[in-house]
Amino acid sequence: MKANKWIVPALVLMLAAAGCILVSGQFLIDFDLPNFQAQTNSSIVAEDIDLNTESDYKDHKDDLQDLVDLAVLGKFTNHSGGAIGVEVWMTPTTTNYTNSTDISNHATKVWGPFVVLAGATKTVDWNESASLFTKSGKQLLIQEIKGDGQFQLYAIGNTTTYDFSVSNGVLALVLDFAK
Amino acid sequence: MRKSLIIAGLALAMATGSAHATGVGVGVYGGLAYPIVQDDVDSGTLLGLRVPVSLTPLITVEPFYMSSALGDKDQTLGGLTYTREGFDGKGYGLNAMLGSPIGMGVHFYPVAGIGKYKLERTGSEDIDEVGYNIGLGLGVGATPKMTLQLRGELNLVKTGDSSRKFANVTGGLTYSLMP
Repeated sequence: MKANKWIVPALVLMLAAAGCILVSGQFLIDFDLPNFQAQTNSSIVAEDIDLNTESDYKDHKDDLQDLVDLAVLGKFTNHSGGAIGVEVWMTPTTTNYTNSTDISNHATKVWGPFVVLAGATKTVDWNESASLFTKSGKQLLIQEIKGDGQFQLYAIGNTTTYDFSVSNGVLALVLDFAK
Repeated sequence: MRKSLIIAGLALAMATGSAHATGVGVGVYGGLAYPIVQDDVDSGTLLGLRVPVSLTPLITVEPFYMSSALGDKDQTLGGLTYTREGFDGKGYGLNAMLGSPIGMGVHFYPVAGIGKYKLERTGSEDIDEVGYNIGLGLGVGATPKMTLQLRGELNLVKTGDSSRKFANVTGGLTYSLMP
């Protein structure tokens, strides 16, 4: 019967340890991005993201623990003569860069390159998209998500000249909330 | 460190179990795992191995190993349907039960346990953390050596200050090696 004396307190302690992480969940928050066309140095596309427009984020911001999954989704069409790699760059505040050189010099690359062959239209797969996030970009996103929830995204090509368009674009974030 | 402690605990349980056991069995089980409040993964299957060791008529410890294949999650975003790959999981640990799950007759028993779990999928950082189980089991022994096991458990894998939670429903067969 000696064993009975410790096993009940041990179970209680274990449940108490688990209790603080019991009220938690992983919630998908998605932002529809406008359709756009990006061309070398003549059509730089920037999108302001404000997570506070999403009620799930706004209501549970204080309980936010982590960014556990993310994806840039949509249908990408390459109008260029050669293959391109589409990249997404980020700034934590609103900026007005007008060419891809300024963007790559001052912003943080968060995603890409997503390769689209000349003249092709390709829908990005969620699994592939999740793999295309950079470590530094993900870190900056986490910082902003835990901060004011506002940031700016730029979409550019990784070639000297590019011309691509994106439709049905979505930024999907899976956020971990816990009380 | 935690991994070493769990392995040491398993070894200790096996050693003390074999020395003082009033009953030892070996069982296989399989079933379904349902994610709780997780938007990025769907229900899947699990299977595993358990070795119940009855230390006294009231206390049984049970080293276990499990493997799971959680389901892909479909989400419609921006007008297109995307599929996010589910986690592949592996875990091992030690359960404790009040009563014995093996032997003739019908046995209801509460079960709680601790283990080490690894969840992996494309494009996500691996979750390699400690987890907890708590649930209820039913053993139905139709013969002295073979017992049907039905179990419902809450499995909670700790991720920082949050967790991934699953409701597991399993069935299996346990063969009694001793007595």
